[in-house]
Amino acid sequence: MADRIGAGAPAATGGGPGRLLVAVYAVFALAAGARAGVQIATRFGDAPVAYALSALAAAVYVVATVALARGGRTSLRVAVAACAVELAGVLVVGSLSLVDAAAFPDETVWSAYGRGYGFVPLVLPAVGLLWLRRTARARGPGTGGGRPAGGG
Amino acid sequence: MTDVLATANIVAALLAAAYALVTALRDRPMGVGHLVALGVLEVLLAAQVVVGFVKLNGGGGPDDTATFVGYLIATLLIPPAGAGWGLLERSRWGPAVIVVACLATAVMTVRLDQLWAGTVG
Repeated sequence: MADRIGAGAPAATGGGPGRLLVAVYAVFALAAGARAGVQIATRFGDAPVAYALSALAAAVYVVATVALARGGRTSLRVAVAACAVELAGVLVVGSLSLVDAAAFPDETVWSAYGRGYGFVPLVLPAVGLLWLRRTARARGPGTGGGRPAGGG
Repeated sequence: MTDVLATANIVAALLAAAYALVTALRDRPMGVGHLVALGVLEVLLAAQVVVGFVKLNGGGGPDDTATFVGYLIATLLIPPAGAGWGLLERSRWGPAVIVVACLATAVMTVRLDQLWAGTVG
């Protein structure tokens, strides 16, 4: 076990297991961003609501990725907000896309609770919020950031 | 798209993912072996990009060319990004990042193949 290092590092949102979370977020930021870019550039008129939502989802993923990677006091709050918006988005858009399919003629990342992406869009914000709560607790109430209020 | 190349890409990505997963489960940081694996994957992906563009230029290809090209180029970005982000973490979570990066390229290659064949929109 000579080359085992770093397990005892202080909790940072972008380190340790958080690095994995950031990697998955980055993949989704890329996937959602590329998809939204193509949809808006080539056929925005077909389904403006769905494509605007794709762009919004992409923006939220980018914000969450950067905030989680950076860590720090302000980033922690931004990350909590981004994860909360994401969770709300996937639940609201997921429900609407099932109830009123006509309003969503083309798929978004959040359609049907992210079924097209293996439901990862549904799981990711929940894991993100749990991870943020854990790192905030590990830092202690007095040192930085405080607890992310609410948490979605 | 050539099926042979796409299959080689998927196999290489899955092998690299499995290698990195074993490293992560053994609780070791990533090493030169992972960088070599990612390098091989990147070369295969670059070959796929070249073949893809040549075939597009030859008049073949899916109706949704923009999406196809987007995926094609995005696949190239993932292994270097995974290597960079993984190298920053000297613990088991470094190779774990490589697992995610390799699985993402495998999934995207499958999507590329589907787009080319026209089985999805």
